[in-house]
Amino acid sequence: MTVEDVKRTDSGPALMLANEAVVRGAFESDVKIVAFYPGSPTSEILDTFGEVLEHFDDYKMHISANEKVALETVAGASMAGMRSFTSMKSVGMNVASDSMFSIAYTGLNAGCVCLIADDPYAHSSQSEQDGRYFGEAAYVPMIEPATAQEALDMTKWAFEVSEKHKTLVIIRTTTRVNHQREMVDLGDLNRTPFKKNKWADVKGQYFTVGSVARALKAKLLDKTEAVKKDFEKTDFNKVVPGNGNVGILTSGVCYLHVKEAMQNLNIELPVFKLGTLFPLPEKKLTEFIKSLSTLIVVEELTPYLETRIAALAQTVSPTLNIVGKRSGHFSEMLEYNVPIVEKVLAEITDKKVSMDYDAVLKKAERLKEILPERPPIFCPGCPHRGTLWAFRQALQQLKIRDNIVFNNDIGCYSMAFLPPNEFSDSMLAMGASVGISAGMELALEDKVIAMVGDSTLYHAALPGIVNLIHHNSNVTLFVLDNSVTAMTGQQFNPNSPFDAGGTPARKINMEKMFEALGADKIVIMDPYETRDCIGTIKEAIEADGFSVIISRRECALYGDREKKKRGEKLIPSENIKDTCRGIYACVKEFYCPAITVDESDAKMIIQSDLCDGCLECRQVCPVDAPRHMEVKE
Amino acid sequence: MSKEGKTFNIMFAGVGGQGLMLLSAILGKAAVDSGLKVMTGEQHGLSQRQGSIYVHFRIGEPISPLIPYGKADMLIAMEASEALRYVEYLKENGVVIMSNRIMPSVTETKSVALDKEKQTSYLSVEDIVKQLEQVTSRIVLLDSLELAIQAGNARTENSVLIGATVACEDFPIPAEEARGAVLALVPPKTQNANSKAFDLGFESSSGCLGI
Repeated sequence: MTVEDVKRTDSGPALMLANEAVVRGAFESDVKIVAFYPGSPTSEILDTFGEVLEHFDDYKMHISANEKVALETVAGASMAGMRSFTSMKSVGMNVASDSMFSIAYTGLNAGCVCLIADDPYAHSSQSEQDGRYFGEAAYVPMIEPATAQEALDMTKWAFEVSEKHKTLVIIRTTTRVNHQREMVDLGDLNRTPFKKNKWADVKGQYFTVGSVARALKAKLLDKTEAVKKDFEKTDFNKVVPGNGNVGILTSGVCYLHVKEAMQNLNIELPVFKLGTLFPLPEKKLTEFIKSLSTLIVVEELTPYLETRIAALAQTVSPTLNIVGKRSGHFSEMLEYNVPIVEKVLAEITDKKVSMDYDAVLKKAERLKEILPERPPIFCPGCPHRGTLWAFRQALQQLKIRDNIVFNNDIGCYSMAFLPPNEFSDSMLAMGASVGISAGMELALEDKVIAMVGDSTLYHAALPGIVNLIHHNSNVTLFVLDNSVTAMTGQQFNPNSPFDAGGTPARKINMEKMFEALGADKIVIMDPYETRDCIGTIKEAIEADGFSVIISRRECALYGDREKKKRGEKLIPSENIKDTCRGIYACVKEFYCPAITVDESDAKMIIQSDLCDGCLECRQVCPVDAPRHMEVKE
Repeated sequence: MSKEGKTFNIMFAGVGGQGLMLLSAILGKAAVDSGLKVMTGEQHGLSQRQGSIYVHFRIGEPISPLIPYGKADMLIAMEASEALRYVEYLKENGVVIMSNRIMPSVTETKSVALDKEKQTSYLSVEDIVKQLEQVTSRIVLLDSLELAIQAGNARTENSVLIGATVACEDFPIPAEEARGAVLALVPPKTQNANSKAFDLGFESSSGCLGI
């Protein structure tokens, strides 16, 4: 499939996801070092690099412990004279930004590119963060593609800009760009063998503080001016000519919505399609807005472009009428689509929309009234389901459900806020559960309980854990050890004996680490032995000091795939109806999507094609009704 | 092809784990092999099973990766309730090709199981079809699992649906290109079953969609 196209050595057309086109662009740029922490909507970039690692055998790759480490890894590689690349989701840059601001000052050596992907609509993120400000705030050039083709072309261009100006370059995308598949024209692939450099041959100074920082700042401002000059000239900032004095400023996927909306309305307004978010090509923009009476700014999230163009217009075109978020035409919420853009363009140009979208939506809403919701849910066989069930039983038995505070973290287990668990006191950011717990433990009478997954543990929870132990905090921490970074597609992490592409790595010994840190109590349990977990959890909760419950069982999706590779069969379970007494514990308290009810006799049925055969449901059933199906030889 | 920029729009819908991405990849390859331009807006992200998922699939001269509401020429659903979930994309009298399989959500199972009066029942395929019929009369309902089993492999539902899609006379990709793409992208051992599944889907759907 498309991984084959990533590997192709010749040029030509290929159907590619934009994330894959980015990878191809990096390969065409002869990238040598890549490092990532997974995060939607960028995970396929990591996965694709991992998949072809062995094939190329001419670049090095880390799945890093977090985004900051990943950025530092590629910055270090650039300092050492190797082209390097990383990508991360919007909030990943929050973690990485500490180093990013300094990297801007020191500059780099070989081409170094970082892609950050915002997620309007918060499809798979904790916020609709607008990452465009990072470029300006740090003086790092930032560019934005609209299509998969541009994703490839701009990745290659980013390496050139980076290397020419000795700076990090950020490519900013949004979910709808990353997950867009289209025909892409590939360039030739000319890879060079991997060979380590000597520091003496490549060395520079990458150091910033005080007077050095002040000197670097002056240089950084000059550098920004130089980049700006280049950005005034690039074809990635283009004016698509049109008629009249109403024009549009847009970038990224919104450019595509604008084009389609104009086609639907049969109008051709002049469009400034912006490719560089920082520095902005102010001269080119000035020229564009001078000829206009009205400018429609089409951008998702905050009015980043709108405020900047308004400031520019104040001096060069003070009477310009700006249509955007401040005028109330567009929202700062959610993601845009053709109907949203078309409606505004129709209003401003006094045209009729090509379809009564509101009526379509209203009718659909009425038709869907009968449709039950399909909330996100743990997969069949998920060990978290058992852990959380046992946790609830333990709280009930200790009679403390109303005397605890539960701080959750980022991972599949974030879904613990949904029924039947409804643990939703806090959930903020990677590793935040332990920091929040420190404050709550100081301020509350209640028992403080936190939960992290193995990947989150090593990503950003460790400093918070050290802090809790150091302060003798009375906190219980669940570590859901499922072997992989499950939510983003089961990538390896420091808890895996593997790195990218399945290459060997060293697995961190979790219990020894907690022991060395000085945890007061460490218990290990298997969530598939669900009933036994209740006692283990109670013991940890009742212990004084900092206690850790390691709930250890691999992610079912990962485990099942590994079983399949080994040629092992999955044996699904069945509900023995003669035993089943219709108590519905499996329905009320367990929420496994493989379990449905037979309307003819009101007893449960296990959908064998969905069932993973984990038998957690047997543990939850008071009469042990579910059991493995007989295997026919 | 529809008038809007000569683009043929298909909305795929299903439940995580059903293989919607493979379905989309197969038709993507078929479109490209037929010399047609294609663009998709896919939903990746959280990897959990059993969630609602979709792919916007556009052939011809697509511009935006997202189909505007009311402009999908076809709605292909691997799970029946998911067809209704994306009905706002379907154009008036567009084609619906849907599996009759329903995978109830756990919350629905809970309300059915816990209703002591037994008044609550699962949403039925008939209920869903009745709603869809308020937008279109061109609905092909397939027992895709049964057909896949008939073809010799329960995991060939994808190919059943592709066969049924290709049988629709509006569909711009020639049948043999689609079959070729199926065979190229499924595991070699399952090629026979997939080919059979493709035929069974084709047969079940042809004749239903004459305009």
